[in-house]
Amino acid sequence: MSDPVRTELTVNGERHDVLAPVEATLLDVLRTSLSLTGSKRGCNHGVCGACTVLLDGKLARACLTLAVDVGERPVITIEGVAGDTGFSAAQRALIDAGAIQCGFCTPGFVIALTDLFARDPHPDRAAIRSALSGNLCRCSGYVKIVEAAERLAGARA
Amino acid sequence: MMDYVAPTTLDDAYRALAAEDARCLAGGQSLVAMMNLGLVSPARLVSLRRIDALRGIAAQPDGALRLGAMTTHAEIAALDVASAGASLLAQAARVVAYPAVRAWGTIGGSVAHADPAADYPVALVAAQATIETGSASGGRRIAARDFFRGLFETALAPGEIVIAVHVPAGPPGGRARYEKLSVVAGDFAILSVAAIVAETAQVAIGGCAPTPLFAMAIALSDTALLAAGQELARQSNPPDDHRTSPQYRRRVLPELLRRTVRAAQELS
Repeated sequence: MSDPVRTELTVNGERHDVLAPVEATLLDVLRTSLSLTGSKRGCNHGVCGACTVLLDGKLARACLTLAVDVGERPVITIEGVAGDTGFSAAQRALIDAGAIQCGFCTPGFVIALTDLFARDPHPDRAAIRSALSGNLCRCSGYVKIVEAAERLAGARA
Repeated sequence: MMDYVAPTTLDDAYRALAAEDARCLAGGQSLVAMMNLGLVSPARLVSLRRIDALRGIAAQPDGALRLGAMTTHAEIAALDVASAGASLLAQAARVVAYPAVRAWGTIGGSVAHADPAADYPVALVAAQATIETGSASGGRRIAARDFFRGLFETALAPGEIVIAVHVPAGPPGGRARYEKLSVVAGDFAILSVAAIVAETAQVAIGGCAPTPLFAMAIALSDTALLAAGQELARQSNPPDDHRTSPQYRRRVLPELLRRTVRAAQELS
């Protein structure tokens, strides 16, 4: 590991000064320096989607983003999705559909759904499946997750 | 001890890359994965994301489209394009990995990485695109077929950067199709076919040799397309990996080629 360098990050609207080596990923820093453990470390090479966050308003793998390279781009993690409202609409939809089993993948799915519904309030099944194609769930078989998204799409008149 | 710099001009980037074991960091979607897996540990990372000269998509006077190296897969996927060449690239961009990777992965990074199962190299070879590079000693234009040299190996010299990709429009009335056979959506290709079809077909095949295979002036009958596919299968050197066997790749190549050309013809 290289010597730590000072890096400024804006996470969920708050500025943070962190010390992290150049090779530290955003995921490392979120979980260890900032104690934001909602973003999960699954595969750590971009396949599973459990670490998905919003970077500058776009979906990003926190494990494929170097903390030192984030710069001025704001980061939103699962901890910042609901704000002060308890649960976001996407989180509520997953709960209501029973789409959560072990929960490890859930933060990534919530972020992916948050991004999808911000772009398209009424996605069809194909759009939902495409939007979730980068997130793995080893419990549910995806059926209830897609159902939750379809309910949310239908509920948004 | 790893060092990080984020220059804002190409000249500063060339200077930064002169250091020993320096690597460009573009979107990071392959490089950071390889760092996490312990496969690479460069002494210096030169982030390219603050260099404006590497951004932007512009039509050229000759009808080609010039895509800056830091153009993301999502930006290319969203292109509303008329030409066959650009359409081929946009179709390939839509099936690169997953939405989060497409949001940040770049064409320059993918091209320089030269994964034999990646989507852009195949589309760029089929479209007869050229790669524009730059370095402290000047710039070059390299045909895509000459740029990809082997497994993760390119014509780039040390200190040389991919600046842009130039995609020619293709033949008049040409139609394009990119077909990718993969185990699940977002995975690397078992086999992929990029085709531009006019009076004849020009095709490139990915996933079954260290670099894309290419054939042109193929007549459009089923017999001619399948024969061209069988010839390409003979030239191929497919990997034996967890996705499938070399035999399977050779077996499906001719038919996937034929279907890709037919699909291109069906597009209005």
